Amino acid sequence: MSRVLTADVARAGVPRRLAGVDRALPVWAAVILLLVFLMALPLGWLVWMSVGAGGGVSLDHYLAVLHSPALMKALWNTVVLAFWVGLMSVAIGAPLAWLTARTDLPGKGLIRALVLASFVTPPFLGAFAWVMLAGPNAGVLNVLWRDVTGADGPLVNIFTMSGLVFVVTIYTFPYVYIMIANTLALIASDLEEAAAILGAGRFTVARTVTLPMVAPALVSGFILAVLQALALFGSPAILALPAGFHTITTQIWALFQYPPKVEMAAAVSMPLLLATALLLLVQKRLLGRRGYAAVGGKGGQRRPIPLGAWRYPALLGCLAVMACAIFLPYGILAKAAFARAWAQPLTWSNVTLGNFTFTFFEYGATRAAIVNTLELGVATATIGAVLVALLSYITNRRLIVGHQLVAFLAFAPIVIPGVVLAVALFIAYTRPPFVLYGTLAILFIAYLTKEMPVGYAQSDATFRTIPPELEDAGRILGAGRLCILRDVTAPLARSGIIAAWCFIFIGVLRELSASIILFTPTTKVMSVVIFDLKEEGQFGAIAVLGLAMLGLTFATVTLVQRALGRDVLGVRE
Amino acid sequence: MPGVSLKGLSRRYGDVAAVDNLSLEVKPGELVALLGPSGCGKTTTLRLVAGFLAPEAGEIWVGDRCLSSPRTVVPPERRRMAMIFQSYALWPHMTVAQNVAYGLRFKRGLAAADRDRRVAEMLRVVQLAGYEARYPGELSGGQQQRVAVARALVVEPEILLLDEPLSNLDANLREEMRFEIRRLHEAFGITTLYVTHDQAEAMVISDRIAVLDRGRVAQVGTADEVFLQPRTRFVAEFIGKTNLVEGVAAASDTVALGSLRLRVGAAGLAPGARVAVSIRPHDIALAPPGTGAPGANVLRGTVQRASFLGDSVDYQVRLADGDVVLRVTAPAATRRRAGEAVNLSIDPAACIALTATEEPG
Repeated sequence: MSRVLTADVARAGVPRRLAGVDRALPVWAAVILLLVFLMALPLGWLVWMSVGAGGGVSLDHYLAVLHSPALMKALWNTVVLAFWVGLMSVAIGAPLAWLTARTDLPGKGLIRALVLASFVTPPFLGAFAWVMLAGPNAGVLNVLWRDVTGADGPLVNIFTMSGLVFVVTIYTFPYVYIMIANTLALIASDLEEAAAILGAGRFTVARTVTLPMVAPALVSGFILAVLQALALFGSPAILALPAGFHTITTQIWALFQYPPKVEMAAAVSMPLLLATALLLLVQKRLLGRRGYAAVGGKGGQRRPIPLGAWRYPALLGCLAVMACAIFLPYGILAKAAFARAWAQPLTWSNVTLGNFTFTFFEYGATRAAIVNTLELGVATATIGAVLVALLSYITNRRLIVGHQLVAFLAFAPIVIPGVVLAVALFIAYTRPPFVLYGTLAILFIAYLTKEMPVGYAQSDATFRTIPPELEDAGRILGAGRLCILRDVTAPLARSGIIAAWCFIFIGVLRELSASIILFTPTTKVMSVVIFDLKEEGQFGAIAVLGLAMLGLTFATVTLVQRALGRDVLGVRE
Repeated sequence: MPGVSLKGLSRRYGDVAAVDNLSLEVKPGELVALLGPSGCGKTTTLRLVAGFLAPEAGEIWVGDRCLSSPRTVVPPERRRMAMIFQSYALWPHMTVAQNVAYGLRFKRGLAAADRDRRVAEMLRVVQLAGYEARYPGELSGGQQQRVAVARALVVEPEILLLDEPLSNLDANLREEMRFEIRRLHEAFGITTLYVTHDQAEAMVISDRIAVLDRGRVAQVGTADEVFLQPRTRFVAEFIGKTNLVEGVAAASDTVALGSLRLRVGAAGLAPGARVAVSIRPHDIALAPPGTGAPGANVLRGTVQRASFLGDSVDYQVRLADGDVVLRVTAPAATRRRAGEAVNLSIDPAACIALTATEEPG
């Protein structure tokens, strides 16, 4: 008790200790100003544009949205999509998490690795793969079905709402999985055994003890999945548009097609922004009530629950899910990359490296896009990592008045869906004083803003593990603050900052929803080129680029795991 | 070797005054313990002295240098102090030798060879010779503690600050390290402030103890003084077990407890004033009914409960007049049973009238 109190007192006292080190103040000030500019300017313009009409303030654009059946239908479709994705993600993610965290399921490590693979797979690549797998006519699975059964119709049609829900779910359930697995890993077995010894059966224990303790994580995982589905652009664009319906993100994108209706796009963006903010608020409240879910700390041991005869059926179930998310899509991408005609069997006459030469040497946009993506990725990750390191250092050591505001601002972009951010940036930077549209700079700003919360979270977690006393100990021995940063803080934070770099880099690599609105012919990135190639029906080239993207992603993930010495999902063993 | 002088320090967190007009003189070469329960402001005081915090009022002087005042605070790195932290705060990425040598980097004009020699010498003093290349994570808690001590002493600080340095050790090691720290203090003679909530630790280690209560110094004195002559209820209760009885001064050396009269140790009490009297359980002797030491206060009572503790017996005795229950610690040689009538015999000198007024918190 006494230690907790003194620690609190010690922390609370940190701000004044900077009194003698005002030299660093301009740096902190600049960083915060930058933060405000990244968000305040675009979002300010977004709001202004949505209510501005002919000089005055009006709600005309909102009324126009309300009176447009097409836009209302898109909003409704988004609600349907998000709700079902949330539900299905919980239905898949929760059992999977329980199986890998608490039972004697064989091959737990493999399942975890596959969930991680699904987590980092760009959803739009999965959507492409599923077009090749389950398109109604040429989809491999449907062809197989017709061959085997002699039926006329397709087995499944991916170009439907349920197809869209399915494809989005298999790349979204990892969010639920992470929440649940981490919570379950913290619940000591003795809590459950305490109930069992009082006479509760296994099912009753699960219902009365385990489930209530996991409930906040379940709801919070549901919300995370809903948020992902709300903000997603790629999968709906690939699956919903051919099916003839819009979601809110594709609708916003469509409003940007010539002639652009920016005001309408701004007005449609607002409900998406508000819904995201609201859901995150609810989630924060849920997780904030740590009291009873605070399964924290060391607690007792966790003994795996024996599955008995269900071990192998359960494993089979897990593998079936992973087949949908990983094996089948990756397989078809690999096949398409090496096949002259992806829908034909992979015989010797059908094998070719032509897709590679086409993609890298013949198709005009690819090389520039790869260079752009790498440049943007490295620049965003490097500047972003420095920025989040500074920000999280400021907030953790409470170096300035208003450090809570800094933390809030660093996290704030998480409520801005990529498409909405792009609309805001488009409006803000196509006019004086900052004309950046058509340059890589606007993409850089978009990526930096969008990836900041992830990088900040990682960096913040890093500094939390470095107690301030380690710095104080050096100060009192004669080292100035800068010396301490160099000798103590930087070496201890290094691997965490490298991880932040990697997370930002991966984020940039797969970014589509903001890029698709902000790109111009000279500033295409890989994801945009993949999207273009789809319009041209170049599936082989899509597969090649997609595999390249996956290769880069997995290389970066490996780097993170090295740096952190643990699983990226953060799931405890 | 300068002393430290704290003059009217105040520091608050929000509405709570963590340190409230605190003054304390530490003489050159003296080891003073800041003793108090959690939340009494002892760690805040130490951090003020270290320069990690700025005072809102008051000043901190070391020798003839004013280090802290509300206007200017000399940063920690220019205070010529060293500090040992509760968590030890050893740098996990540096070896033992690197940890210990770190502070010497900032000693201008110290040759590398001298530096190495001093590190080796200091590691020998704390009995860690041979551990130079280990990392802190590879050491036991006690060894880490010694590294922290070495790192602080090797820079030959003017002032040494210790923040509950033993609280992370297990009981046996803690006792051993108390003597070790005292030995090092006697060897180096550095002016030292030592924060602890453990009264036994404070008594073993320090020259004087400053008992802190709600951000103020309740009493400063040697271990004997604060134990035998507590000035406030807080000090009497915090240092060791005691019986506190409330009464009214009947004469300059007598306190009335209902119909009882209790003569107290030398004190000019103002008749009629309310007085609390502290009596240590050890200072009360049990005698058969009708007897009692000559010149002592003799009170009649009944044993309510007797708990055998091995080398002594802990009694709860209800006084015959009034409903006061006193704790008595008596030798185990003669045993009394619950329900037995006894006489309590107390030397007036052991009845300490707590005269200092405590300001309400």
